[in-house]
Parts: sequence; structure tokens; C-alpha cells
Amino acid sequence: MPEARVTLRNATGLHARPAKIFSRAAAEFAADVSVEKDGRRVNAKSVLSLLTLDCHQGDEILISVEGDDAASTLAELVALVEAGLGESEGKEREEPA
Amino acid sequence: MSTRLSGRAAAPGAAIGPAFVLAPPLVLTGLPEMASGSRKEEQARLLGALGRAETELRELAQTVTASAGEEEGEIFEAHAEFAADPELIRLAEQAVAGGASAERAVVDAFETFRELLVASASEYLAARAADLDDVRDRVVKILIGLSTSGDKPDRRSVIVAHELTPSQTASIPVDLIAGIATETGSPTSHAAILARALGVPAVVACAGLLSAIHVGVDVAIDGRAGQAIVDPDPSEREAIARRHEKEERRRDALGALRDEPGRTADGHRVELAANIGSIDHIPAAIEAGGEGSGLVRTEFLFLGRADAPTVEEQTKVYAEILRGFPDHRVVFRTLDAGADKPLPFVEREPEENPALGLRGIRLSLRRPDLFRDQLRALVRARVEVADEDAGRLAIMFPLVATAAELEAARDTLRFVAAEEGIDPGEIEVGVMIEVPSGALGAARLAHSADFFSIGTNDLIQYLFAVDRLNGAVADIGDVLEPDVLALIGRVVEAGHANDAWVGVCGEAAGDPTVAGALVGLGVDELSMTKVAIPEVKDALRRLTRQACREAVEEAIAKAEDAAESRRILEGRLGTSLASQSP
Repeated sequence: MPEARVTLRNATGLHARPAKIFSRAAAEFAADVSVEKDGRRVNAKSVLSLLTLDCHQGDEILISVEGDDAASTLAELVALVEAGLGESEGKEREEPA
Repeated sequence: MSTRLSGRAAAPGAAIGPAFVLAPPLVLTGLPEMASGSRKEEQARLLGALGRAETELRELAQTVTASAGEEEGEIFEAHAEFAADPELIRLAEQAVAGGASAERAVVDAFETFRELLVASASEYLAARAADLDDVRDRVVKILIGLSTSGDKPDRRSVIVAHELTPSQTASIPVDLIAGIATETGSPTSHAAILARALGVPAVVACAGLLSAIHVGVDVAIDGRAGQAIVDPDPSEREAIARRHEKEERRRDALGALRDEPGRTADGHRVELAANIGSIDHIPAAIEAGGEGSGLVRTEFLFLGRADAPTVEEQTKVYAEILRGFPDHRVVFRTLDAGADKPLPFVEREPEENPALGLRGIRLSLRRPDLFRDQLRALVRARVEVADEDAGRLAIMFPLVATAAELEAARDTLRFVAAEEGIDPGEIEVGVMIEVPSGALGAARLAHSADFFSIGTNDLIQYLFAVDRLNGAVADIGDVLEPDVLALIGRVVEAGHANDAWVGVCGEAAGDPTVAGALVGLGVDELSMTKVAIPEVKDALRRLTRQACREAVEEAIAKAEDAAESRRILEGRLGTSLASQSP
């Protein structure tokens, strides 16, 4: 089963909008996608499950894919995380200087 | 007889109107435990209710986006995702397959996730429990045949409730809401945020509110003072009506100041700029009346990517930002990354104390390739917009602790400017004063700086040895501590003695009281979060420079701590929220 470890670089980790973006992207694929942190593994297509992992910036997650086109699915999801999940510096509140 | 209740201010404005008491939250007892029909039918009921809830929430998201804004609309987009969550649906389907009613299955499935969220240490996640409850209640109402459109008043009313959920707030047409008063709740709840975005006055945490209300009674609220009056008498009515008029005038007056320059009542110029962290922030900064930017956090170009941005890419973005602020100064802070904001293209050793480690200018000087690329892009952006009606480039170095660092950074800029055929003397170069050694050594730094910008957040963190993200110690240290004010005063003097202007770009600059104190200390520019600009602009235009100076001198001389210093300043400047009369 293809899997990859990847570090969350964007500001809010897997919370709020980035969690939604990731779960939506995972749901686009036919294969089963899971995310594991600290030994807990959840369905990546479920935004509620992702939230319960409480992943922050700098945390390492393990993405696993099983099923059709597993390798390419994994590559796309890893690229999405590395690109910052639609978020760069942007926190909702403007960061203090 | 009237009843006056004190709560917490949640959204400014004053209103009076008939009380409209919203039905209390859904009671979840007495729901059917077991399915009455076949399991297949029950599953269809379950999926039908979840699907309808999702559809309703997506529609609500669109309505709210139109009335309040995109960020507010996203609250309901997220709610819709919860209703459509595959794991939640799987849990509920399992329960129904075991014979449970759809109602019981929904309540239990939501409870499973609620417990996981509340159990986490994260305040953000715990706060999402209220959002989950809101969605759960909608689904249960659909199942038991209650209306989800929420009850709404037939005329413009003050909405009274135990606590408002975001969907209750959003489901009442805004023209029917004169104001909002709740028995519990907090000014940071989603419902309060919505009220502010909709421009509806609101008071929350009014203990005793519901028991004081009876049918047909009028309620008056003052959202700035955080007060609600049930059954106001004629003089109270008049007072609230006057307050409302003043608030309306104030809103108009603040809006009218948008294109006015920042200055004191006696005409002393104080530039009021916006801190920005993305190109997207520019329109709102202009709309708020921002005079350029005193802090462009360039990290947004670097974070969350595998490779460093190219010179071309950076040039394009910097030029765009300069174009966004015609005729104003735009201060770009060079890359301020540290071990707490890791960049994949910067290899580094793990640090035990990232706040004290290789960060800010230290990292830039260690990585001249990255530093030169960024400076080159800034210089080229300036050249690119030279013939346009664009902003003026200024460059600021973060976390400068010694004069040698500033010299080395300036050398790099001279080198890059020479390669680009530019006279480096044409570019304003400044130092962010945020390290105690930089503040103490300001006179030395001023020889090589065109300006200082005091970063109050980090300066306080380093002065008081307090991690500003650690809640256990976060209340230690404040810009209004008399010794901090005195230190800022010395930095200003050192700057001015060497013809360097001095700004402040920390969060504190957006507090009208602090702004008055800083102007009293001689600060020339305040850069703040955009939403704070109108109030600060208005407050300064009511104060003379002399009044500010006398107030801050008294605070430094007499106050023992920040609280006392604030009392003195607010007493002399009249800048407290409650005393701000329009």
C-alpha cells in the first residue's frame, strides 16, 4: 500500500479551511485514503475525522492510499500538502508583528 | 419599571425595539430510541434528513456571503461539510442498521465527534463543538418535523435568546434585527462575529435577561457599553435614541475620514498605515483608510513551498504591492523566518529555543543567496513601477540585535543595488526594533538607519522573557508598562537625533489609548491591523500633541504598572471604548 510521510507547512495545519481542502481533494479519488498521526489513523475523506487528529503546523502525518490509482493519488495529495493546502502565511486573524 | 442589566459589549451600536424571544435550544430528551418502521425506511429517513440539512446549509452560506461577507459564509460551508461527512454518516448508518431510530443515530454520531473535539487541548477545536451542535439540531429538527427556518419576528425587534447559534443569527432577515441581547455567550462567538459583520448592535452575557423579559416588553441595548434595559422608561428611551443617533453619526464620520490623512487635532502629522501579509489584504487596507503599509510580512511568499521563490516571481508580487498603495510608503520587512516557521529549502539544525535562534536578519545573513534574491527583487520592483503612480519602497530588517548586523545587511543591499545600477541612497532602509539590545543600542543603530519601526509584540516578549503564545504567562508584560513607554521614548529620541523617523508596527498601535501615548512619545507612524485604523484616526484627530505628551509623561512618572498607566492615559485622553462619544 503506497504511503508517504509529509510535514504540514501551512500556518493552521489540518484545521479550518486546509482540513476542508484536504478532505475534499481526498474524496475526489476512488481509492481509500487515510491519514495517521501519533498512531491514530482516520479516513481522510472525513473532515470531522481529520479535525480530531488536531494536526498543527510542523506536525508530520502519514498518508496511505489503497485502491485504484493509489500511487498517483498519493503523489497528488502529498503535493497538495507540500503546496500549503491553499494557505501560505494566511491566518484568519492578522498575525501580530 | 425598567430593569438595567450589564453584559459584555459584542457589537457597537444602540437600539430599542420589542423583545422577540427565540425558542430555547432544542431539547434532545424524549426522542424515539428505536426505529418505528423497517431498517431500510429508517436509513432513507436518516440520509434524507442529512441531505436536506446539507442543502439548507449551502443555501444559508450563499445568503450569508451576500449579506455579511465571504468569511462569514464559510462558517456555514463548514457546517454543510459536517452534515455530509462520510464518517459521521457511516456511524449513524451503523446505528440504524442495529435498529436505532434515525434521531438516536444522529445524536450519538454527533456526540462521538463532539467528545473527540472537546477532549483535544486545542481551544479552536473545542469551540467547534458549538458548531457541531448547531448542525445536529438542524438534522434532528428535520427528522421530527420542526421548522429549521427558525422563528422570526414579524417586525423589527431586539432578538433575545439564551445564546444565539450562528444559524439562528443568520436565518433572521437582517432588516428585522434591531439588536441582539443574549443571556450567555461571548464576544468571540461566531454569532457575535456575525453581528459585527452585519452592523447589528449586540450585548452578550447579560445575566438575568430572560427572567426579566415578559410578553410585549421593549428592550433597549447599548452595544458599546454592553448594557441592556428591559422595559426602559421615557428618559432611558431618550438616552438610547440619542445614543443610536450618535452611533450612526459616528459610523458616517469614521467612513468620511477614510481619505483624510492621520494627524492630531493641532495638525501634527502621524501616518496611519496597515500591516499586511498578502496581496489580498490591500483592498481592505485601502478601504479602512490605510496610508500605505508600515509592515509587509514577506514570509507569505516563502512559506508552504518546496523551493524558494525566484527573483522574477518575487519582483512581480512586490511591484503589485507597491502599485496597491499609490503615493504612500510601503515598508517591506525582509524574510522573518525561524525554526518555528521551517522552510524546506533552508536546511537547519533543530533548535531548542527557536525564538532565540537563527531567525530574522541572522538567517538572511547566513543565507546570502536567499537574501540577495529578495533584495534584488525589491530593487527591481521599485524600478518596474518607477514611472507609475505607485507606492515608495522602504526596506526593513527584522530582529537586528547589533550594529554589525545592520552594516552587513546594508552592505548586501549596496552590492545588489550596484549590480542593478541603482543608487542605494535612494532607498529608505530601516531597522525593526524588537530585540532589547536593539532598543538599548538605538543611538548606535540610528547612524545607519533611515527609520526605526518598533515591533512591540516581540519587544515585549524579549523584554519580559515571556512566550507570547504560552497562555500561562501571556498576561505578563504590556506596552503600557511605564518602563516600556520610557524605553520607547528613548528609541524615538535616538532616531530623531539622527534624522530617522520612528514608527510602531505591533498590535498595540491599533489601540487608541496606546496610539495616543505613542504619539505623545513622538512616534511618527503607526502601522496596525486594518480594522483598527478608523478608530485610531478618529481618536488622534481629537487630541493635541501636547495633550498626548503630557498624558504619557504623567503615566511614565506616576504609574506603577500597565493598568495604572492605562487609567491615567484614558482619564486624560478620553480614549476608553465607553467614553468614546461620537
